[in-house]
Amino acid sequence: MSFFIASEKLGKIGELYTPKAGINVGALLAGGFITERAEVSTTEEEKPAKTKSKKAHKE
Amino acid sequence: MATSTYLSTPVVTVNSIDLTDQCTGATVNINYDQLSATSFGDASYKYVAGLGSHSIQLDFYASFAASETWATLSTLVGTSTTITVQPVAGSESATNPKMTLTGSFLAALPVVNALGALGTISVTFNGGVYTTDVTPA
Repeated sequence: MSFFIASEKLGKIGELYTPKAGINVGALLAGGFITERAEVSTTEEEKPAKTKSKKAHKE
Repeated sequence: MATSTYLSTPVVTVNSIDLTDQCTGATVNINYDQLSATSFGDASYKYVAGLGSHSIQLDFYASFAASETWATLSTLVGTSTTITVQPVAGSESATNPKMTLTGSFLAALPVVNALGALGTISVTFNGGVYTTDVTPA
């Protein structure tokens, strides 16, 4: 998870926010000063290998 | 020659939030328990420092707008955070020390509303580790 600045009182809006030791991150989130976003992976996910489905044996 | 300074431009942050423009007073109390180290043979009491018991009292205008005093303080009641007070904006130095209280507890949030006057909030952060930074960032 990454935090991003959402208030000018904290810094430049949109910039990544790295909390220093002793900072109450929960209060910043609750007050709307930062937002939390899941990190988006930049690497493409590997596609699963295609497998041919075997035809069912006719009995 | 008197060297006291009338502080009109200090910088106050609470939990990293710059609340300077809402603050009207900041009192930094640096205290240590006074432990007696007096022993036989001493003619006078002597003391050593015990546990630190620091606090910072801050006086704010009560602003309920987004990102202002209420938004900052209301979520901190009953928790600990970091407070900084610096005499003047700018780099830290021996003549402009940044006083920091880390892990300081906010127990109460008294909001004062009076007829014909601006609302105020005076809070006291108790405890925590006190440090003074005089090294430019």
